[in-house]
Amino acid sequence: MNTTGSNGVMQNAAAVYEKSRASFNNFKAWVQLDSTHLSDGRQLAVKYFTVAVILFFAQILFGLLAATQFIFPGFLYEILDFNVNRMIHINAMIVWMLFGFIGSVYWFLEDESGAEIVGLKLGNIAFWVFTGAVTLVVLVYLLVQIGPGKDSSLWFINEGREYIEAPRWADIGIVVVILIFFYNVVATFSKGKWSGIAGVLTLDLVALAGLYLAGMFYMTNITHEQYWWWWVIHLWVEATWEVLVGVIMAWSLMKLLGVRRKIVQTWLYIEVALMFGSGILGLGHHYFWIGTPEYWLTVGGFFSALEPIPLVAMVVHAVYDAGTHAFKNGNHPALAWIIAQAFGNFFGAGIWGFMHTLPQINIFTHGTQWSASHGHLAFFGAYATINIAFFYLAIQQWRGNVWMGGGSQNAWRWKWALGLLNGGVLGMTIALLIAGYEQSFIERAVEGSTWGGYFTAQNHPSFQHAMGWRLFFGCMTLTGFILLVWDLLTIGKGETRKAPAIIEN
Amino acid sequence: MIEPVALEDFFITFFSSALIILAGASYALLFAWSKVNPNFRIKIAAYISYAILIISVAELTQAAQFQGYWLIISFVMAIGYFFAPIGIWHLCVKTHADQDLIKIKEDI
Repeated sequence: MNTTGSNGVMQNAAAVYEKSRASFNNFKAWVQLDSTHLSDGRQLAVKYFTVAVILFFAQILFGLLAATQFIFPGFLYEILDFNVNRMIHINAMIVWMLFGFIGSVYWFLEDESGAEIVGLKLGNIAFWVFTGAVTLVVLVYLLVQIGPGKDSSLWFINEGREYIEAPRWADIGIVVVILIFFYNVVATFSKGKWSGIAGVLTLDLVALAGLYLAGMFYMTNITHEQYWWWWVIHLWVEATWEVLVGVIMAWSLMKLLGVRRKIVQTWLYIEVALMFGSGILGLGHHYFWIGTPEYWLTVGGFFSALEPIPLVAMVVHAVYDAGTHAFKNGNHPALAWIIAQAFGNFFGAGIWGFMHTLPQINIFTHGTQWSASHGHLAFFGAYATINIAFFYLAIQQWRGNVWMGGGSQNAWRWKWALGLLNGGVLGMTIALLIAGYEQSFIERAVEGSTWGGYFTAQNHPSFQHAMGWRLFFGCMTLTGFILLVWDLLTIGKGETRKAPAIIEN
Repeated sequence: MIEPVALEDFFITFFSSALIILAGASYALLFAWSKVNPNFRIKIAAYISYAILIISVAELTQAAQFQGYWLIISFVMAIGYFFAPIGIWHLCVKTHADQDLIKIKEDI
């Protein structure tokens, strides 16, 4: 390369860099967020929240691409295939929720322990390593879509297991990052003070890191393979994540509504007992059709029938609290998203789950769009909502604990974002429910799970229409997301009133 | 051994399953509300919800062809959904021992 050419490239690169820096500075001046309001620990938390929001966008984007391919199968064919879009859609969801949960824990860690985070530097390094690894994994998914299934592909390209496709090096990285996170939590509580919330959180993190290991080894028998794979998929989601959300919710109820610690902790223990009591052996409903012994039909059916009980407990407790407290709170969007969590969890996990969980009907519904319908409402209702509530808690403090209650400026934005996101997800859920019903009826029951039955069901008008409606409601979800981001960047800007300090009742 | 749901019973199976959870939650909600606001009509509404739950359990039992030990699930749902809200209510009262509106109303 000649000197003039390389100088030109350098100058262009410098110009692009300067332009980007200027744009970033303009953006910072526009959002007017002041990090001096946040402790170092909370600054780390908002880094996690920022990446969570970006990955939330990736989830919606790749979901929309996959939804479009259901209607136009030739769309992006051999450029960005359906299997890749679906994989990134689901992986992005899992990872953005993890980023959100880790961020939420870092957010309350110093407050709860009364001490500064012990390994803050390590925590920051882990954050950048995790973010870099996720970026690299997604880039590899996109750039190497097809290739031979060798040991090297397992280590560097794609592990090939549904939902946990990350290559082995990234798996190891995830465990290391979770261990650093675990160290930070335990060491910080040890330096400061322990509490019931701290104890439950610590035990839950042991399970969170430990169970992931079950998805990192292979067995040659497909039944054994699936048996362990479900430990990650089911036990993460229906046990460790639920408990993690219980911990996050417990802390936020104290801070948002001033509920007494003793009450919150007692109920956290009760909920954990109910969750584990029903959720661990509820795992059996995934063992119905993978070649495990027949007793799993009974175990899975029985414990699945018990799984809605913690949700019913929540209903009774909510009414009790509503009868004894007049809700006064200075962060309406966060409270609204927490209420959305209670409803979303009840409908998505409780009703949509139980409708098709008993083996007598599940024999026809498993693996159809019915599962996708349940998955969309349950994941959004139980997990996305609590993360969004925390984003609003964070932004309030980032602006210096400003008033975000009644009479706030531009409150329509968060209300519309709430309505569009919930309406969009509910619409997709119902569209997928119709598609799943048709599939289980025609493909499974009438045509006996044959290839012919599969295609008959896929081409049936009710399936096709349902896919059209799913795309429509997916676009509604995207609109809600854009509004949510706009609101998060602007809410409380220019607000001079301070939120009142919430004290325990 | 399980007997898969018959084709004509698909809808009733989904519908009765969903109704069990909905009626269970309505019963829990109305039961708790009748404690906070001791009104006879709310209590009656709670028991109507429970009656709907029982009918739904019976429908599901028939549609899903429960037999033998599978009938235990129906029995547990019928008993469990009745007593769970009562038990949880007592837990609420005990864990909030020194807060009072409820106590006052119950005393009345």
